[in-house]
Amino acid sequence: MAKTESSLRFDTRLIHGGTSPGPSGATKSPIVQASAFAYDTAEELEDIFKGRAIGQVYTRIGNPTLESLEKRLAAIEGGIAAIATSSGMAAITTAVMAIVRSGDEILSSASLFGGTYSLFHDTLANYGISTRFVDPTDADALRGAVNENTRLIFVETIGNPKMDVPDLAIFSAIARENGIPLMVDATVSTPYLARVGELGADIIVHSTSKYINGTANSIGGAIIDCGSFNWQSDKFPHFDQFYRKYRNFALTARTRKLIHKDFGACAAPLNAFLNCEGLDTLSLRMERHCSNAMRVAQFLDAHEKVSWVNYPGLPDSPYFEVANRQFGGRFGGLLTFGVADKASAFRVINALSLAKNLANIGDTKTLVIHPASTICADYTPEVKALMGVGEELIRVSVGIEDIEDIIEDFAAALEQA
Amino acid sequence: MNLTVNGKPATIADENPVSITDLLEKLQVEQREYVTVELNGDILDRGDFEGATVKDGDTVEFLYFMGGGR
Ligand SMILES: Cc1ncc(COP(=O)(O)O)c(C=O)c1O
Repeated sequence: MAKTESSLRFDTRLIHGGTSPGPSGATKSPIVQASAFAYDTAEELEDIFKGRAIGQVYTRIGNPTLESLEKRLAAIEGGIAAIATSSGMAAITTAVMAIVRSGDEILSSASLFGGTYSLFHDTLANYGISTRFVDPTDADALRGAVNENTRLIFVETIGNPKMDVPDLAIFSAIARENGIPLMVDATVSTPYLARVGELGADIIVHSTSKYINGTANSIGGAIIDCGSFNWQSDKFPHFDQFYRKYRNFALTARTRKLIHKDFGACAAPLNAFLNCEGLDTLSLRMERHCSNAMRVAQFLDAHEKVSWVNYPGLPDSPYFEVANRQFGGRFGGLLTFGVADKASAFRVINALSLAKNLANIGDTKTLVIHPASTICADYTPEVKALMGVGEELIRVSVGIEDIEDIIEDFAAALEQA
Repeated sequence: MNLTVNGKPATIADENPVSITDLLEKLQVEQREYVTVELNGDILDRGDFEGATVKDGDTVEFLYFMGGGR
């Protein structure tokens, strides 16, 4: 008997989960580079618009190539449905706006990717949606920050760039206690480190631009609906009509039929195809990202010119215990380290030859950036402190090159520190 | 029995009540894992697909959230 998909082990599910044969038995879902889809009769299109029949209409709303990425991501994460978006920020914006309304509050981890911080702190605040930012490792403070207006809890699996690892069991418990959904950005950990739906996430968001794509050739994002939250709630009257019809698919239905359709941040078919390609090799690459990052962390930790290293895989990291438990002994490919000051950090970055100085993570190549002067430059000193972004800090996205070459590159560059 | 399915007349061979699960199979309804079923204007819980039945003259709608408009 054929194995059911959910009984397949993770590495196999990455390759086969949610897939179906393409035209002529093609082993790839084709790139359907078309804007719209024609039907013979007016009746057929009417049925599709009424939701009585399934069919593609227009690529902003759906497209076979997008659908193949969506099905694969849902299968890999153990979700009930997924929506592919044009970028990770589009996934976060769309998913958040599908849930909250003007007057609502978001309770967010204070340790966030800069774009998400700016979305919550500045952009959404202008639309009457406010966010409380709380240290994600302080359970009492998190609990105390929930109030009658809180409608969403948001956290990153590994804070970028703070590298803290919140205990998702605590987040999930607080969300359950209060009847609020938990949204988890799992970009940095990837499904390889953990299927966070199993750890209590109700909604998972990804920037697929990073490790899922894997070779930095296209931007993309995804929203995965774990189907675990009960939307029939006084807190979510705007879900009533969707809950009545679609039950545990209420969030995906509301997002697709309203927010995603109206905001229009759809993925491009070619990008969705390229992000699908990345899924096949995610485990292999992540294995190497993790082992290389551990070696780089150990090397930097022992280096006299490095004042500190922040990698959750180092046993003296304050996040080691939680990360080890949550991620099964794997710690990802991202780390930060400190040298003497900003000038020293700049000298090190300028002296690196293999590692690229750019604003991205999750490429096959080793990447570095000085966050304080770039991706976090707009933050006030207080926010920089909250996010753990000092002037002496360098973020490294450790690539999958030969580890000896990576270490030699850092060894040579640190001579200039 | 004669039914109205998605606004159109439909006939199935059975004369006895048929469960929703069997009806989905008989009518070869697409993507059954996602479909919402409305029987005579009432939305059914997925858990009731086995127990709920259709009889002659019933109106059934199959609805998807993936489709085009609202
Ligand atoms: C944790 C995290 N979330 C979200 C994003 C945003 O994704 P994108 O650049 O695809 O919009 C990024 C990276 O840029 C990220 O690192």
